[in-house]
Amino acid sequence: MGVQPWEREILAREDMQLTTDPLEAATDDHIYFSKEASSGGRGFGGGGCGCN
Amino acid sequence: MAAGVTDMTSITSRKERSVSATLAAATCALLGTTAAAPVDAQEEPKWDFNTSLLYYGEDESRVQDMSLKSIIRRLFADDRTLTLGLTVDGLTGATPSGAIRQDVPQSFTRPSGSGSYVVPAGELPLDDTFKDTRVAITAGWQQPAGEKGLLSVGFSASKEYDYLHTGVNASYAHDFNNRNTTISAGFAFASDSIEPVGGAPIPFTNMLDVGDTSNRVGDQDKDVLDVVFGVSQVISKNLLVQANYSFSQSDGYLNNPYKVLSMVDSVSGDTLTRTPGIEGGPSGIFLFESRPDERTQHSVYTQAKYFMNGKVLDASYRYMTDDWEIDSHTLDVRYRWPIGDSSYIEPHVRYYTQTEAEFYRLSLVDDSLVPLPQFASSDYRLGNFDAITAGLKYGWKTRNDNDMSIRVEWYTQSGTVPAGQLIGNQASRDNYPDLNALIVQFSYRFSR
Amino acid sequence: MGSPCEVLTDGGDKQLAGRLSSLVASEAWRIEDKFSRYLDGNVIQRINTAHGEPVEVDAETGNLLDFAATLFDISGGSFDITSGVLRAVWTFDGSDNIPAQDDIDKVLGRVGWQRVTWADSQLTMQPGMEVDLGGIGKEYAVDRCTALARSAANVPVMINFGGDLAVTSPPVSRQSWKVGIEGPNVDSAEKLVDLRQGALATSGDARRFLLRNGVRYSHILDPRTGWSVPDAPASITVAADTCTQAGMMSTLAMLRGAAAEEFLAAQELLHWCRR
Repeated sequence: MGVQPWEREILAREDMQLTTDPLEAATDDHIYFSKEASSGGRGFGGGGCGCN
Repeated sequence: MAAGVTDMTSITSRKERSVSATLAAATCALLGTTAAAPVDAQEEPKWDFNTSLLYYGEDESRVQDMSLKSIIRRLFADDRTLTLGLTVDGLTGATPSGAIRQDVPQSFTRPSGSGSYVVPAGELPLDDTFKDTRVAITAGWQQPAGEKGLLSVGFSASKEYDYLHTGVNASYAHDFNNRNTTISAGFAFASDSIEPVGGAPIPFTNMLDVGDTSNRVGDQDKDVLDVVFGVSQVISKNLLVQANYSFSQSDGYLNNPYKVLSMVDSVSGDTLTRTPGIEGGPSGIFLFESRPDERTQHSVYTQAKYFMNGKVLDASYRYMTDDWEIDSHTLDVRYRWPIGDSSYIEPHVRYYTQTEAEFYRLSLVDDSLVPLPQFASSDYRLGNFDAITAGLKYGWKTRNDNDMSIRVEWYTQSGTVPAGQLIGNQASRDNYPDLNALIVQFSYRFSR
Repeated sequence: MGSPCEVLTDGGDKQLAGRLSSLVASEAWRIEDKFSRYLDGNVIQRINTAHGEPVEVDAETGNLLDFAATLFDISGGSFDITSGVLRAVWTFDGSDNIPAQDDIDKVLGRVGWQRVTWADSQLTMQPGMEVDLGGIGKEYAVDRCTALARSAANVPVMINFGGDLAVTSPPVSRQSWKVGIEGPNVDSAEKLVDLRQGALATSGDARRFLLRNGVRYSHILDPRTGWSVPDAPASITVAADTCTQAGMMSTLAMLRGAAAEEFLAAQELLHWCRR
């Protein structure tokens, strides 16, 4: 399991990062925090608002 | 004159360019090679600006949000990064009050206590005074710690009319196994204060007539501690997986100060009526909700990124459980499909399902033989529902290499009230406030 | 090479690293031994001590002399491998020790590629003249070593001789090689460059200058006048296909003095000029 350092060409791609679009991820965390009973998981909760 | 100057310049630059060409030929001769591969270099940008404009709109004139979000990243030498975020939300619209539908018009006192509103017969009671501006800031600092560690610290704050949040967070990630394995641990602590319009109502007290604030108390607060442990693992050249365990502990005022429950007749299920005061007031008995003052959540999140011939599959699953007896499952799948060299489309589907909180009640029963439960809330977000998000994103690179994207998504919730909670006439009414929302987000990203 | 030399590989094992570094080191030493003007018994010393007699040189030396002749032509005589003798009157030690015109004139008669006869592998110079390939040698060595590394290693390699560097190919473990360009503070990189292919070279040494009456005299000498080039930038870094091209471009720009930026802009090469 795993790769050698010189086999990382694909893994280094921008679209292969775990969080491809931080702004979209933050937006989704916030929307679902305010509409559902579960939050977070990927990182920290996405709370900090009175919407729930 | 102008033409003459232009000519001079072009002669000069033609001559200067011939220096390049002659030098290139002479270098080939010197090194005994044919032309070398052309240079590919660029100065690393120091600034990364990421901005988006979001429209979130629920149907039936419920919540509408216009949100402007920016993340600005400054890169320093030695992989140190400062990240600053700013979000401004403008919220308007109506939100379910928690009271149930009735066959007659119902009146309610506004949360401020300074007026009342009427909900027509048969309609879901919505509180339309919901209007707020929210400003949130974040600041984060990230730097390597040793050769294989990465340390992050951050601060967050947000302010709404009735809510103030401040928080700190820190995390550490460490690479192992030829950087194929990364483990991380982090915590976030938030200290929030709730300053409800008109004061926080005492739980399980009645909604009172206009002008009567005898059941209102001052500001409230709550603390939230989040702890996350994670591991990510490179499986192969084109597969990366991640798993996180999170723990979240909330303490303090966890009620929604604007939500009520209808007090109903134990046989008909209809809301008990009362006569509003002269200045106006509720036409029925509505009790402010009461939630426990602590909550412990556990969740497991797993994600996989898989690259296949230029296309990237991003799938994640989350299981959450808490001591309010809510269990949820979330499945999220995105598929990024390149179109040519500089654009892509990305369909997105998300499925979410949760069970209701142990104290979720559609209504409270007036029965001298049955005491009130210790806690109760009819907040639809604590009920039993499923939600589906379906969306499409289109992203492209502009001529100057900046990234743009637009996504359109539909979000729909449909819930059910447990059959055992339905009393009399309630069985024939639509009790759960289903939700349909449209999400449109435009993002722009550039580096300098 | 008078500076730290390093070989970086992206991946590969200890064995490869050892093999590459000895390969690169031996080529670097070979070039140093052969062309250093400080060493006895090499071709440069034979040329510089020929006292007006023709000297027959080998093919590699001939290629370097051909290259120097081309640079002399395209620089309008400002790049000249015979200008080294001016060091007899100029010492850049930060003092105000500016040489007198008389002293410069005395040396200037022994400077000038146009006075040299170079044909058919034979170089003939007037007695007292000297050639110095120091302005070409390091970049040439980087390119030679890069070519060797490219054929000897199956992983990407970067060859860095004191800041003049070249890569064999883009790295694979990340998007690009990251190179810092020093600012006035030597401890921190002022600019970061993402290099995927090609080379970078820097000219200029801000510590070597003379100062008199508020006028700064850079160590860049114009062989046509024997004087320090006025208004030369503190340093110039250029990115080009090969280290030799990058190094010569930055040197040619230096020699333009106040017009360095204008010259570089016309070349359409990525560059950084610090004054």
